[in-house]
Amino acid sequence: MVADASDLSLVRRVQRGERGAYDLLVLKYQHKVVKLVLRYLRNPADAEDVAQEAFVKAYRALPQFRGDSAFYTWLYRIAINTAKNALAARERNPVSYELDVHGSDDSTDMVGRLKDPETPEGLALTEEIRDTVNHAIGELPEDLRTAIVLRELEGMSYEEIAASMDCPVGTVRSRIFRAREAIDRRLREVFDGGLGRTEELV
Amino acid sequence: MIHDERESQLSAMFDGELPATECELLSRRIDRDDNLRARWSRYALIGAAMRSEPVATARSGFARRVSAALRGGDTRLRASRGRKMVLNAAVSASLVVAVAGLSITLLRYTAASGGVANGGIGVAASGVGAGAGAGAPAAVGSESVASTTVGSTVGRSALTNSVVASDTTPRRGSNGEPVSYVTPASASTGNTALRTELADFIVAHSQYSSPLMRRNLLSALISSEDGSDIAPPRAAVTASPSVSAAGALHATFAASAPGQ
Repeated sequence: MVADASDLSLVRRVQRGERGAYDLLVLKYQHKVVKLVLRYLRNPADAEDVAQEAFVKAYRALPQFRGDSAFYTWLYRIAINTAKNALAARERNPVSYELDVHGSDDSTDMVGRLKDPETPEGLALTEEIRDTVNHAIGELPEDLRTAIVLRELEGMSYEEIAASMDCPVGTVRSRIFRAREAIDRRLREVFDGGLGRTEELV
Repeated sequence: MIHDERESQLSAMFDGELPATECELLSRRIDRDDNLRARWSRYALIGAAMRSEPVATARSGFARRVSAALRGGDTRLRASRGRKMVLNAAVSASLVVAVAGLSITLLRYTAASGGVANGGIGVAASGVGAGAGAGAPAAVGSESVASTTVGSTVGRSALTNSVVASDTTPRRGSNGEPVSYVTPASASTGNTALRTELADFIVAHSQYSSPLMRRNLLSALISSEDGSDIAPPRAAVTASPSVSAAGALHATFAASAPGQ
């Protein structure tokens, strides 16, 4: 898998002491991990805390990561275990959980509700992003759309895409970059111009 | 144009298709450039949206909070390591103090009861230090048997004083009340003899003793084997009636060893 190679490159840099590379992995997988943890802990604020803990645990365990499995598979296991432990701790101490739920800060809870994909607001935001991305992809020129689809949905390497599209690797790199730029521009137009919430996306 | 090239590099790096040297340079720039970080995050969002994966689940600034937690965690890790070292030292120190206190209590108890046990030997040994220290100059000053006897006698009296001082301490129960109000009997001759023999034994084997003194003391120890002038210690009698004084000491040590 190409995505694994990309992650592995970042992992190796983290293992060499570049902590900035780990930030990029967090940015890449933050939504997936939070969503995963949300399956166990229904409260979005708790889920974020546990997801954060999972990322911290993964970072500390990263020196032992040998790359036998994909980074996300490994991170997934850590996140699941952390969520289960948090759930068990909550069951052992239900009183504090109840206090946390009812005593949580209103503003935090509001943001949590907004970002919980199962709330109407969360679902609306998710749909809005997907629609924007899909609409932007539909407007792309054929060569750019094919390149980004082969990369993101099929997980092909630049070399494989080049062979498939019968063009140099440099052209593939350029096409994928231009496709992303076009989609990103559309996202910023919608969220900055229309809703002013681009910062919510990162 | 340079801007586009950098973002093209970012896109290639996102896909793991950028050469390592360029990756290194770009990652340093990403650390300082919030726009590049935001763009990286949106690239992840675009891919997730295309694959119908979760998007916009985490609040903004999540990665920054993780980074801050890592920095804080590192600090806590160092602090906890320091605390652990201090804790280990404190535990070790308290363990030493506890063992020392227990030993002293046991020695006092044993000395007070007048038994020949580990504590008895320990008291005798500590008494030997004082006795030998007092007796050695006399022995060194004169090489006659008589002066050796004087030295030995000084050591013996010091030992006896030590034992008597210990014997005067009443034994007390857990509630602080003395176990018995009966005046304790003075140390038996046998016990005193054993401690005297121990003093002689140690002085005889001390590197600070003169060869003549050692020889005289050893002779005295051997001559006491028949028990004509010193009653045999109870432990030695129990272990083996025919054992020598030195042998009795060894036997006592050996007998006390498993109980320690």
